Amino acid sequence: MKYTTIVNNTQFEVEILKDGTVMVNGEPHEVDFLSLQESLYSLIQNNQSVEIAIEEERGNYELLLGGRLFEAQVLDQRALLMAQRKGGLMAGSGEVHSPMPGLIVDVLVSTGDEVTQGQTVVILESMKMQNELKAPRDGVVGTVSCKAGQTVEKGSLLINITGDDE
Amino acid sequence: MPTEPLGKNIQKVLIANRGEIAVRVLRGCRDLGLGTVSVYSDADRKSLHVRYADEAVNIGAPAPRDSYLRMDKIIDAAKRTGADAIHPGYGFLAENAEFAGMCEDEGIVFIGPSAHAISVMGDKESAREAVKKNGVPLIPGTEAGLPDDELIAAARKIGFPVMIKAVAGGGGKGMRPVYDESAFPEMLRLARSEAESSFGNGDVYIEKLIVGGRHIEFQILADHFGNTVHLGERECSIQRRNQKLVEESPSPSSFMTREMREKMGKMAIMAAESVNYVNAGTIECMMDHEGNYYFLEMNTRLQVEHPVTEVVTGIDLVKEQIRIARGRRMTPTESVLDPKGWAIECRINAEDPYNGFIPSTGVVTSSITPKGPGVRVDSGVFSGSEITPYYDSMIAKLISYGENRQQAIVRMRRALSEYVIMGVRHNIPFHINLFNSVSFHAGRYDTRFVEERFSMNTYEAEPTEEELETIAIAATLHAHRQRQQAAQVIAPAERDTSNWKWVGRYERIHR
Repeated sequence: MKYTTIVNNTQFEVEILKDGTVMVNGEPHEVDFLSLQESLYSLIQNNQSVEIAIEEERGNYELLLGGRLFEAQVLDQRALLMAQRKGGLMAGSGEVHSPMPGLIVDVLVSTGDEVTQGQTVVILESMKMQNELKAPRDGVVGTVSCKAGQTVEKGSLLINITGDDE
Repeated sequence: MPTEPLGKNIQKVLIANRGEIAVRVLRGCRDLGLGTVSVYSDADRKSLHVRYADEAVNIGAPAPRDSYLRMDKIIDAAKRTGADAIHPGYGFLAENAEFAGMCEDEGIVFIGPSAHAISVMGDKESAREAVKKNGVPLIPGTEAGLPDDELIAAARKIGFPVMIKAVAGGGGKGMRPVYDESAFPEMLRLARSEAESSFGNGDVYIEKLIVGGRHIEFQILADHFGNTVHLGERECSIQRRNQKLVEESPSPSSFMTREMREKMGKMAIMAAESVNYVNAGTIECMMDHEGNYYFLEMNTRLQVEHPVTEVVTGIDLVKEQIRIARGRRMTPTESVLDPKGWAIECRINAEDPYNGFIPSTGVVTSSITPKGPGVRVDSGVFSGSEITPYYDSMIAKLISYGENRQQAIVRMRRALSEYVIMGVRHNIPFHINLFNSVSFHAGRYDTRFVEERFSMNTYEAEPTEEELETIAIAATLHAHRQRQQAAQVIAPAERDTSNWKWVGRYERIHR
């Protein structure tokens, strides 16, 4: 199977052969990738042994290696085609979800506003703390699916940010 | 004050708390051979503190006000199980004078100070009044309830910057810094209206603002025989939004010599004695960048960060608390001026350091705690337990110790890299970064360090090409296997032939 994998904005062409060999950008790698338990793996490559934790969030992967967080997207050829048609591989999702159940204190943007990555868009109160939810990418605010005073569940879609050109 | 032991009988202790501190107190009781009773809310049925105790009593719905803050239910649970003492832990009812009073009235030993000491120290104004009589240095400031013109005059006299604080405030709320006189009237108006709306009391007072101060606190132990000792200091300046993240003992401040420890320790003892304090308590101080120190407040309970003191003094604070509550003499006979070695504690919280420290909830799918020489983990979390939005986000306290600070740091780094927590976001990456920072190594930090001079990106070197490649391989293999599994699960319904034939074909294909 051929995949296009993007790690922290670096793109790799990865192919997994029938015999288990992993080709990365055309170079063969012998990898011993052992599942220890759900989402925890031991990986040995050239006698280098590391432990990697992997979690999936809405189709993207987050990997923890040595206390450090990496973000990865794994696209098979169909997904790659769709992503390219949607306009850009690296764009990333523009959805802001509630990371926990809580109360919407304030919505700082409305439909049509231009936002930059890292800009605070919603203030959510949970666990007695006011938390600032930030825009995951540059773009224009599409739909706003929440309002101040509303209680939301974990994972609720709050705001969608689309590309500038759309 | 009694000259003979009070001989209060304690055979069974009810722990009016949850999480790691409930487990910690349970362990202390077990060590003393005492019976134990846990109380729990509906959200905590699976918790470690319920399973670890001899008896467990359900006290209601998950929200604290329906369970862990329900004094009537907790007293009732103690009476029903025949518990003769209650340990409140920290938080919840630990600093509630009314609850301590209720225990006294019911003939149940409250393992902590008297209701009187709690109420005096619980109010900032009366606490300042009490310790001032004993000559304890206070941050220059005004009394509460002055009119605006007198506050402005006072601020001018104290000198800017100053802090406007709500009398009824706390936990970092109701405070406003003012850096020059022109901004004062507007800030005062804001502080008053904020205090009025948040606490229903618009009274404020002014304090000198200590810029670049360190938060240093002293552990106090006092028994019913009039003995009060201190067990040295804890440095707690690594904070974010007034929430402590890392504590160590002793303090790495260059001002903290043996002489300074003796001087500040004496001051801490004087502060505790001003309310005839009995049991374990903590005197919190602010030290400015010239080495001047001031009393901030007294915490009339066991602290979250008590383990670092236990490690460098060899004193089990929970056991001493129970001993004192029984009316016996406490074990330490003198204050600790020469701590043994060095201890550091990291608070491992379910907070995402990559995303503004937003708390994270969910099931902890995996928890592999570090072990080995010089490592202690206090935790109530295990694989399968849940971090709920009802309570605080602490997962564990990770404590490392060694002969000196360097060894404690090295061991902490090792322990942090061993720690695996899955299912919720956590702040271990923050701690790893912090322990790589030069300022932290040098012990050069103050209470503003994390918020003003530290970021998750500053100390992280760019990932190497090899690391990225390894991550790409892992992510792809993981995704590949998941998709294959998913395909097999979905496939059966769509097949027209029997599963056995299908397996045969599948194996032929993949041969």
